[in-house]
Amino acid sequence: MERRELLKLVALTALSPKVNLLQAAAACQMDAAPAKPHLAQYKLQFFSEDESRLLDQLMEMIIPADSHSPGAHAAKTNLFADLMVATSDDSVKKQWQDGLRLVLEEAARSSLAEALRKAAVNEGNPQTDLEHFFALLKQMTVDGYYTSATAIHQDMEYLGNTYLAAFPECTHREHQG
Amino acid sequence: MSQGEIFDVCIIGSGAAGGVMAKELCEGGAKVVMLEAGRKVNPVELLSHKWPYELPYRGLRGEKQAIFYQGDISKSIAYADLDDVGVDRVRILGGRTMHWNAVTLRYAARDFKEWSTQGVEEDWPLTYEELEPYYDRIEQIIGVCGNDDHLDILPAGKHYLPPIPWRCSEHLLKRATTAMGIPLIAVRKAVLTRSYDKRPSCHYCGHCMDGCDVASIFSTPDCMLPKARATGNFTLRENALAREILVDNEGLAQAVSFVNTETRTEQQVKAGIIVVCCSTVESARLLLNSRSPRHPGGLANSSGAVGHYLHGHLGNSVSMYLDELQGKKPFNQDGATDHVYIPRYNHLSGNSSVAGGWGMQVNYQSYMFPQNAHRVPGYGASFKQQVRKMQPGYLQMGSFAKVTAHQQNCVTVDPGRLDANGIPTPVVHFRFSDNDRALWQAANQSMLEMFSHLKGQVFPSFGKAPSGFASHEVGTVRMGKDPRASVLNSYCQARDVKNLFVTDGSCFTTSSEKNPTLTIMALSMRAADYIKDQRRKGGL
Repeated sequence: MERRELLKLVALTALSPKVNLLQAAAACQMDAAPAKPHLAQYKLQFFSEDESRLLDQLMEMIIPADSHSPGAHAAKTNLFADLMVATSDDSVKKQWQDGLRLVLEEAARSSLAEALRKAAVNEGNPQTDLEHFFALLKQMTVDGYYTSATAIHQDMEYLGNTYLAAFPECTHREHQG
Repeated sequence: MSQGEIFDVCIIGSGAAGGVMAKELCEGGAKVVMLEAGRKVNPVELLSHKWPYELPYRGLRGEKQAIFYQGDISKSIAYADLDDVGVDRVRILGGRTMHWNAVTLRYAARDFKEWSTQGVEEDWPLTYEELEPYYDRIEQIIGVCGNDDHLDILPAGKHYLPPIPWRCSEHLLKRATTAMGIPLIAVRKAVLTRSYDKRPSCHYCGHCMDGCDVASIFSTPDCMLPKARATGNFTLRENALAREILVDNEGLAQAVSFVNTETRTEQQVKAGIIVVCCSTVESARLLLNSRSPRHPGGLANSSGAVGHYLHGHLGNSVSMYLDELQGKKPFNQDGATDHVYIPRYNHLSGNSSVAGGWGMQVNYQSYMFPQNAHRVPGYGASFKQQVRKMQPGYLQMGSFAKVTAHQQNCVTVDPGRLDANGIPTPVVHFRFSDNDRALWQAANQSMLEMFSHLKGQVFPSFGKAPSGFASHEVGTVRMGKDPRASVLNSYCQARDVKNLFVTDGSCFTTSSEKNPTLTIMALSMRAADYIKDQRRKGGL
């Protein structure tokens, strides 16, 4: 039975004691259960293995694993970045290659952590090429991580995209006018 | 459809206007053929419930909504002399009723009288009182949730479904608006809060704009077309892109020439009455492309007004993360997008120096992606924790404000630039007026003031210059009292071509701050009644 038909059945038989609504709703929940992420079998299309490893390190530094949830590495955010850049125009590809090169050059003088710190120092008003690259890198990390199964279900503990028989109204006395 | 069959009525377009027209005329006994440039989309084709990570680009490249933009609809348009406005054309059976947020607001009596009440633009050739019975009928057919809030600026019906329950952030917002003397009400939407007309209640998944896979939101394929089909009088032609309306020796409309976009063949359908419901840009384009010796400037264009007076809505948005809700355990806030609405209030003070007002929609974005992640500075563990902590406090709001109608803002066609089917493409020309800019600034300031009554971090999303339209463009085939500056009479009937009607948003004389769809449907139903009456009397 298709989800649409099932939900119609739930609605149309809402007053019938013979229909197990919870069972029907549970079936809908199953329909909306997390699916296998797309990046499971992914092969790099744009970045080299070295570049992808560097990206993985940088992204994990931006959104790291902590006691609450895995970070950008577990979410394979570097592979998401590869797909997005591989399917962008040449100017975007150049920005990424140049940016990673700048990070490496800076890291060679100090460390990767210091290079990232230096790149992020003027986040609100970037001036140098390295600082501009940080904006690009952070945006990609945020987009990739927070659209991953890891972030949606484990980090943010998002509870929507499901079937609700009724919307849970705010009944908190302290919120009422 | 047999070769050479002549229908009573041909309706071009299956959106809000076309759906109402088809239902009403079929039920009235007319043999109706509907031409739709797109195709039907089955519920299983909708990606509403897909997770981002199930989509190739996580949905960041519009994959979820791509199905609404069939063929070359997104590419076959050009812009010139343009401020920051977006014209959003869709191509699908059901038109924008398949891809909308379903906010259904009645125009107020004063919205039909801009000249009389504010000294700008002009009055419509009809009044609220004349349209009110049609608002009543439409609301009962489609099912609208909400309340009668007893507001002159937002008239109400008497048959609303229960309102959608409110979120915590909406109760907190009401605290702020109450302190400012501004009403905040339950939103009125064509979303079912209980089973209605054989359609199920909303299941609060939060994906209204991605398409509703169970028909809890009103759409013409789920609500109007089944009723038209049930009469046995309805014929639907999908993938039928209208090229031109053909006229007879008297200059009356007699057929529609269209391209079957699947077979790439040219075809015609004949009908005694033609009703154009293609939306504001496409309807103007079709009339301007329908040139003949009797109508050298385009069909029904002796006034020269076809394509002109393009206008729509100004838009802006602000988001906030409420201190009171930050750090709470995650809870499911995705419901039916907007649950509350702030009606226009700037007229209450009576001293506004600008014409028009704005209304505010609240929480119309999904909670799945934490928007603050693009706003919170820094990186590392503290960044990640801050994003998570803030998210339960998310409150988002945007206003739609009136844009004034001006002759020079227009849609033209470019015979030198053809779409994939060889049809001249539309060109949009638009500049905001001083009044529009002042109103936009006032709306921005007011939103910030409202948020200043709450505690939390505020993130405005408006730049230095206004932007607008948001799919709400109207006015290119306007009705009016003055035949020199309008195309249609108050029944959406072309003055030059008595068997031609245009009932989509292009028929608006002026616009208010309210979302236009309910008014489009009411006007289309009123025009359908007129057509039925004239057919009975032999006038058409």
